[in-house]
Amino acid sequence: MRFQSQKVAYWFFATCMLLLSLQIVYGFIMGFARIGFDGLHDFIPFNTARATHTNLLVVWLLTGFMGAAYYIIPEESDRELYSVKLAYIQLLSWVVVGVVAIIGFHFNWWEGRKFLEIPRPLDYLVVVNVLTFLFNIAMTIWQAKKRSTTQLVLFFGLLCAALLYLPGMIYFDNQTLDSYFRWWVVHLWVEGVWELIMGGILAFLLIKLTGVDREVIEKWLYVVVGLTFLSGILGTGHHYYWIGTPKYWLMVGGIFSALEPLAFLGMAIWALNMYRKKGKNHPNKIALYWTLGSAMMSFIGAGFLGFAHTWPAVNQWTHGTLITAMHGHLAFWGAYAMLVLAVISYAMPNLTGRKLFTGMSGYLAFWASNIGMLGMTGALAVAGITQVYLERKLGMDFLVVQKEIIFHFIGMLLAATLFTVGITYFIVDFIRHGLPSDEAVGKNAGDLE
Amino acid sequence: MLSKSQARAFFLGGTFLFSAIFVFLTVDTLRQNESRTNAQNMTADVLKGKEIWEKNNCMGCHTLLGEGAYYAPDLTKVVERRGATWIDVFLDDPQAMFPGERKMIIYGFNKEEKGQIIAFLDWVGKIDANGWPPKPNIPIDSIATPQVPQAKSNAVVMAQPEKFSQLCVACHAVGGKGGNVGPALDHVGSKFDSDYLNRWLSDPQAIKPGTNMPKLPLTDPERKDIVTYLSALK
Repeated sequence: MRFQSQKVAYWFFATCMLLLSLQIVYGFIMGFARIGFDGLHDFIPFNTARATHTNLLVVWLLTGFMGAAYYIIPEESDRELYSVKLAYIQLLSWVVVGVVAIIGFHFNWWEGRKFLEIPRPLDYLVVVNVLTFLFNIAMTIWQAKKRSTTQLVLFFGLLCAALLYLPGMIYFDNQTLDSYFRWWVVHLWVEGVWELIMGGILAFLLIKLTGVDREVIEKWLYVVVGLTFLSGILGTGHHYYWIGTPKYWLMVGGIFSALEPLAFLGMAIWALNMYRKKGKNHPNKIALYWTLGSAMMSFIGAGFLGFAHTWPAVNQWTHGTLITAMHGHLAFWGAYAMLVLAVISYAMPNLTGRKLFTGMSGYLAFWASNIGMLGMTGALAVAGITQVYLERKLGMDFLVVQKEIIFHFIGMLLAATLFTVGITYFIVDFIRHGLPSDEAVGKNAGDLE
Repeated sequence: MLSKSQARAFFLGGTFLFSAIFVFLTVDTLRQNESRTNAQNMTADVLKGKEIWEKNNCMGCHTLLGEGAYYAPDLTKVVERRGATWIDVFLDDPQAMFPGERKMIIYGFNKEEKGQIIAFLDWVGKIDANGWPPKPNIPIDSIATPQVPQAKSNAVVMAQPEKFSQLCVACHAVGGKGGNVGPALDHVGSKFDSDYLNRWLSDPQAIKPGTNMPKLPLTDPERKDIVTYLSALK
């Protein structure tokens, strides 16, 4: 790390690890409930586990983005963070809000709107918190000696993510409108501005890890995020087919969803090409694995698997089935989870001065978690396709069909176990790195610049 | 080859253009919303029902208009499919209606709250959702070999009492139509006499403690109709 204040990022990453572990626990609770072992029903019913599982995902990814920003922005701005104290206060309050929300879920305190279950009073605190974060980042950039595209794209992404949280806070008594504007948050986040954040972080990592000229990488960054918005904004339409909105959304959503893989394909080609053009070998191979892996898996999970069921003629059958869960798992993993793990893998040796990337466990973490996640996605895919045929095409009863697909959930649990082994390796490595050290300031373990 | 400023112009121009189209379409969607969702039918009960729906995070298991958690059935057309009476009985003790199956929380809603939930679901079911959910389009007979010709049933001889088709068919089948949670009732009339059937329906637990059959809220004439119908199934 170049600057003392980058150490803040460590605490954000540590929080990530904690929340990710918890998310996996709740995933298992749901997996077991699906094969008939729902002994926790009285304490953690499925809807509680589900809300906790998905909200933890959102919270840990956002925590990761914040940590990444606190690490990247000082380096890109070539100065210390505007206020380290503010960053710690922000992290602390962020964790408090998250913990209160999750405990609340267990006492029937929530909003009951998929992905946006956090109760309204806490929403306001989230807004204040994110504004604090953005203020800190903005001031750092404002007072910076230099401007970079990476820095600005990342900031623009974080700002839009904050602004787009607002439509989710308006109350609509009409279910259709409620759903319509809920997707402004959920879709425009994950298939819009989060991709901007992803592009910014990816650009930073590629610059550091491949040594390719910044100008080249940043030019393609514009092209990639341009493609994202070109397809992603009107791609929101694929959520508007069957909720009571006009018929033209079928056409608009269909066409622009079909273009969405292009943005991810662009991202993958961009990352791989930059890697091919690399000037020198960076010693932190594990960070490179996660970086390139993220670019490729996001194309498969978010791009290809999304494309596989957003065409209206297909979606009328798959909408509201496990097919969505299948796509969701690999999409979030590839695009965002792997990217946060990439930043952590890159930053940890720099923060602590310990070069653990020479060992075997980093590779084990990478392969076990990725194969595990592909296995889970495969199991969900088979379960989902079976469900679509039996329940939707043949008209069999919901519960009867669910019994038919129990077997695939056993498969999913096995794959999830492998996934957990991988994540455990990752977390053990994280802990082995130890705390950020002052001696590491001013040095970057093996950087090319 | 593309220069960096051209790439930036592509990004900014594209973002602006497509955001503008998106906002335009949103305005048009809002304009059509009243008629497509029958907003005039959103009574106080419907709004209350939506509140209950959200307060208990029903979407954490069920889906509505296909949005939710895939752990429990989609409820978009549930009022049309099951009928208000069935839902009313079901909500009192969901686990009794599907014994040994996936569990639903017993919320203990009162009569009024249940009515509000049903009103909300009824309104949602009538939203113009572009034909979703679609009707099954593969006839099940075309892929499954028909079983041995079904034993002749008296099912068609007599029309089902209203309550029977509202409640009983959720679990029991007659003439191959109905649920499979409880046994098929095609020949129940030859197994039990009407007195036994009457006592059974009045209080299943008293006859066979531990049975999965719930005690259904039937008035005397309703129960009498069902017993008469069942006795004819020989």
